[in-house]
Amino acid sequence: MTRLNAPMGLLIDRDQPLAFNFDGKPYQGFKGDSIASALAGNGRWLLSRSFKYHRPRGPLTMAGQDANTLIQLGKEPNVLADRELAENGIDVQGQNYNGSLDGDRDAILGHFSRFMPVGFYYRCFFKPMGVWDKWEGLIREKAGLGVLDLEFEPEYYDKAYLFHDVVVVGSGPAGLSAALKAADAGASVLLVEEQPILGGSLTYNRFDVAGSQADNLRADLVGRVEQHKNIEVLTRAACNGWFADNYLPVIQGKRMYKVRATECIVASGSFEQHVVFRNNDLPGVMMSSAASRLMKHYAVKPGNRAVVLTGNDDGYLTALELLDQGVQVAAVVDMRPAPESEQIASAVLSRGVQVLSGHTVYEALPTKGNKHVRAVDVRAITGRGEVASKGETFDCDLLCMSAGYMPVYQLLCQAGGQLKYDDDAAEFSLSKLPAQLRIAGSVNGIHSLEAVLADGERAAQQALQTLGLADGAAPAAVSCGRKVNFEWPIFSHPKGKDFVDFDEDLQAKDIVNATRLGYRDVQLVKRFSTVGMGPSQGRHSALPTARLVANATDRTVTETGVTTARPPFSPEKLAHVAGRIFDPYRRTAMHHRHNELGAKMMPAGNWQRPAFYGKAEQRDACMQAESQHVRNKVGVIDVSTLGGIELRGPDAAEFMNRIYTFAFLKQPVGKTRYAVLTNEHGVVIDDGVSCRLADEHFYVTATTSGVERVYREMMKWNAQWRLDVDITNVTSAFAAVNLAGPDSRKVLEKLATDVDLSPEGFPYLAYREGHVAGIPSRLLRVGFVGELGYEIHVPAHFGEALWDALMAAGEEFDIRPFGVETQRLLRLEKGHIIVSQDTDGMSHPGELALEWAISRKKPFFVGRRSVDIVMAQPQTRKLVGFTLPEGTKKPEEGHLVLEGDNISGNVTSCEFSPAVGAIIGLAYVGINQIEAGSQFPIRVDGGQMVQATVVDLPFFDPDNARQAL
Amino acid sequence: MSAITPESFSKRSFVYRQLSAASFTEVAGAAQAADLKNGRNQAMQAGLLDLSVLPRTGFRGLNAAAHLQAAGLPVPAKPNQASVADSGELVLRLSQKEFWVLGNLADEGARIDSLNQQPLPDSNCYPLYCQDSHAWLTLTGAHLPAIMAKVCGVDLREEAFPLGSIAQTSAARINVVIVNHQINGLPCFTVLCDSAAAEYLWECLLDAMGEFGGEVIGSGALS
Amino acid sequence: MKIMPCPLNGPRNISEFVHGGEVREMPNPISCTDREWAEYVFYSDNQAGIVTEWWLHAASGYWFIAERHTVTDEIIRTYDPSEIFKERVEFSAEPATEEVSA
Repeated sequence: MTRLNAPMGLLIDRDQPLAFNFDGKPYQGFKGDSIASALAGNGRWLLSRSFKYHRPRGPLTMAGQDANTLIQLGKEPNVLADRELAENGIDVQGQNYNGSLDGDRDAILGHFSRFMPVGFYYRCFFKPMGVWDKWEGLIREKAGLGVLDLEFEPEYYDKAYLFHDVVVVGSGPAGLSAALKAADAGASVLLVEEQPILGGSLTYNRFDVAGSQADNLRADLVGRVEQHKNIEVLTRAACNGWFADNYLPVIQGKRMYKVRATECIVASGSFEQHVVFRNNDLPGVMMSSAASRLMKHYAVKPGNRAVVLTGNDDGYLTALELLDQGVQVAAVVDMRPAPESEQIASAVLSRGVQVLSGHTVYEALPTKGNKHVRAVDVRAITGRGEVASKGETFDCDLLCMSAGYMPVYQLLCQAGGQLKYDDDAAEFSLSKLPAQLRIAGSVNGIHSLEAVLADGERAAQQALQTLGLADGAAPAAVSCGRKVNFEWPIFSHPKGKDFVDFDEDLQAKDIVNATRLGYRDVQLVKRFSTVGMGPSQGRHSALPTARLVANATDRTVTETGVTTARPPFSPEKLAHVAGRIFDPYRRTAMHHRHNELGAKMMPAGNWQRPAFYGKAEQRDACMQAESQHVRNKVGVIDVSTLGGIELRGPDAAEFMNRIYTFAFLKQPVGKTRYAVLTNEHGVVIDDGVSCRLADEHFYVTATTSGVERVYREMMKWNAQWRLDVDITNVTSAFAAVNLAGPDSRKVLEKLATDVDLSPEGFPYLAYREGHVAGIPSRLLRVGFVGELGYEIHVPAHFGEALWDALMAAGEEFDIRPFGVETQRLLRLEKGHIIVSQDTDGMSHPGELALEWAISRKKPFFVGRRSVDIVMAQPQTRKLVGFTLPEGTKKPEEGHLVLEGDNISGNVTSCEFSPAVGAIIGLAYVGINQIEAGSQFPIRVDGGQMVQATVVDLPFFDPDNARQAL
Repeated sequence: MSAITPESFSKRSFVYRQLSAASFTEVAGAAQAADLKNGRNQAMQAGLLDLSVLPRTGFRGLNAAAHLQAAGLPVPAKPNQASVADSGELVLRLSQKEFWVLGNLADEGARIDSLNQQPLPDSNCYPLYCQDSHAWLTLTGAHLPAIMAKVCGVDLREEAFPLGSIAQTSAARINVVIVNHQINGLPCFTVLCDSAAAEYLWECLLDAMGEFGGEVIGSGALS
Repeated sequence: MKIMPCPLNGPRNISEFVHGGEVREMPNPISCTDREWAEYVFYSDNQAGIVTEWWLHAASGYWFIAERHTVTDEIIRTYDPSEIFKERVEFSAEPATEEVSA
């Protein structure tokens, strides 16, 4: 394992060698190596097999921007080998091969490529009907990448916000100069870099003949950035999206930062673009920048004898770097008629390198099995995409290519930026960016180093002006005279394998054929051909695709455009999105007591409530026992989740009167009253009990799930009415229980010594205040479950102690807790509705037989006019009680009620009632089906029909004698 | 000597079950976690303290500010600001007309009790229920903004959220009131949250503090 | 994530807010026609342009009004509802007219 001498190898530590396995064979590397660089350092270039044709593939970008280096790392599939660090002892496997990576039996698929035309899956398995079912197994087997470990152990991933005045994405020369300029002016700056070190192109690219400029500049800029107290740096961090108002997800390690910055400067640089020619995918054919990265980052010699194919002067500088590192350069093949800089070109010529201007590589010639490039066929360019019929062959094991650059536009297009193609520069540029999002450097079409630095400062200065930190005038735009893109670097070959998209094995003709089949829009071309759908998401295929489609459809490249860029910019794990998601839950003060008593808990909104006490599989038995206990002895249920709202002030009664349907102006102090709430559509949306504590003080309950909405609506109404009333949501301030059953008074008498609990002193529907077990309490005589009962509301801090006191005092009366499901059965026996269970988005008071709870004497309540209108219409359905004999198949909530062939309603509640000795329920039925004693059909599970009998409500204790005791 | 436990009292903190390792003292008729064997150094590093049993009160209405002024409490000039009374109470102004007053450990919140005994103005001043509707959790130490950034989308760095600032916002997806203050020179973020969600937030805050070496502390760690 | 400038709490993530619908004037519920009432309840202008909307800052329970451009999603201005709703609203005690049941 020989490596180049320092200063090559910026990222590796030669003092720390390491060893690992790839595809079963041992390899060595150094700390800091990526898996791909370590393998290349061992002369191992073949890393993967292509998706469709199983062609050998090697490093292409060495920057984690292509799919060629996808490998399986232990149990994790689809890891980018040119980004993932090599570690001692890791086990790395190739992907997508049949047999072995070197001898993939499926490579034969490449010979059948003419039978797998563009849109292959789309066309072949769409018709005839059912053909897909036959092929699916085989295709899924062949088409997947990597092996997923279904036995994985979840790891801890999390998220954190990061706040800064300015976020700079990319730490190349533009990003560094922007960050420094902003930080020097006092802004707090976050600098985000995808690579392990700062500097961007300064870390690998050669900018001058002497080859010293980049290192010197980098040392200066990075040194200043690292010292700067106003700059926070994140390396190995990917900014994966741009969302409104500069909200950027940045992934580093196992954390997703949610960056929020007032100003955002994107200096994301540009992606070097490949040249389209036959066999441009062979291992050994790579971007010029990839060869430079191998040398500068990892001290790996990218080959022994190179050909450089270029469309700009940068290729010449790459040739110089190769020469300096001991790589023979067989030729520089320049697609242009002449270089831009005579000085740079002559430096190459003076080293004895042959330069062929106006030429291109027409075909790369492979070693056996397409394992590596062995030579290139160089031809003179005779026209757009056309070459001379004969050329010269150069032996080489490395072909560096650069057709120019494509701005890294993805984040910017997510932000609404638009791409425009300049025919002279043969380059896309960005415009129409939102305010406070700026671009600098090569993403902004600026390519000469001095101009890039100036452009970074320019962007920072603009940002400082919005931040109020600028000291000078608005800066002028920076321009750059360089032309870096060759107009038509596409040389189709009659035998194909001239790849536009390496991920998806798409050749030039595939794109053109897609347009001929009528897919003219680039979005449709993408979906039909799958171009740009692979892991590299069009980083290299978007530009040639735009050019090919424009050409084939006689439009400009601007008109053709590129496909929509969506987050994430680079692949992200679901764990990054799913990690440390907040899922709030609420517990009552008595929560732990329920657990200690073996409660089966159920969610109610974000509350946890006991459904019943006992094992899940004994639900019915538990509920029936608990309900019988309430009917015969005494039970207690935690009702702390019940909403509570306080209304205080001179207009409290007037406000109640406007919000709820009933009349409240004359509600006596010390009395409760049922309160129904309709919305402006006249639909019943909540109910509760109103207690009048004093003339100007109401305490009104609301449903567990409805209180938040009710409270908000109250606040909103009073923002308009401006009544003199204070509205407070006190739900969490009070813990509450309902103590119910014939013995409930006896239990309470032991604890409430300062309240007259006699039937006369504290009658049904009355409200009292006093102390229970020494705890200040609000007491309501309620009848929801149809037994003598008391709701006891206490400050939440005392909730658990109240529970403890009641359980202790009730012991001699055999007190037993009951759960929500039991309560639902008990209230069902009494025919009481639960809003949102027995009501839906259409339920008006008439359908629920709540006419009695509506006051027609007052001028207004929310929903009044709508209630008047809908209740004046002929009614079409009604909620009725029904019974079914014990043993009938029990309908579930939502099961349909039929009238002839039509659906006339649905079941809303249904349970077996031990007190009634039958299945009882509530259902909406057609208006012709409501007569007591008549029958209607319900379709239950399995399509079976049962005949339910309409009965008058309530099912139990029709005179309501028990609750009024 | 029989040890004080939370269940010795009728009034109990919403998170007392998270404090089984603590030794308690009696504060305001309830058990206050006083010592978790880690002391002031832990509080300086990163601490999470439950003060839910310590008295607090609140008033809302056009005459609420005057009521507090009459009681000798410093009324912050603008909403979302907090001021500290000479006797150590924190006065929070949550809107033009809503104020909360958080008691001081030194007198076990006695001044709050006496404030609650004062006659209210004739009109437009309504007492609030923040003693029971909200749990009182206090984060301490050197990493408060970074800890909160793991649960909250508001910039709580010193520059944006100086001493005496209040943020009414969402943390770990529940509503909270965050106050930047000091106790005995110790940087503190007091977080007031729905008392029913106290155990939930407790869990979230401990998780967020983990990487900063955060631990549960007792009131003794403040001095 | 979008930022909403709350008049009470300053700029905050939009996830802290609850949308409360457009600010609309209620027709007189006693004297308006059924059609006018139905339009008030069911129809929304849904216009492309600047709309005036109710927004609630959930953490502080504060309702305010925002003027927002529905095409650009730009928030032009936010302010306390008392700028619009200055007076105490009364509802007359006259009984509903007969057309209601028509």
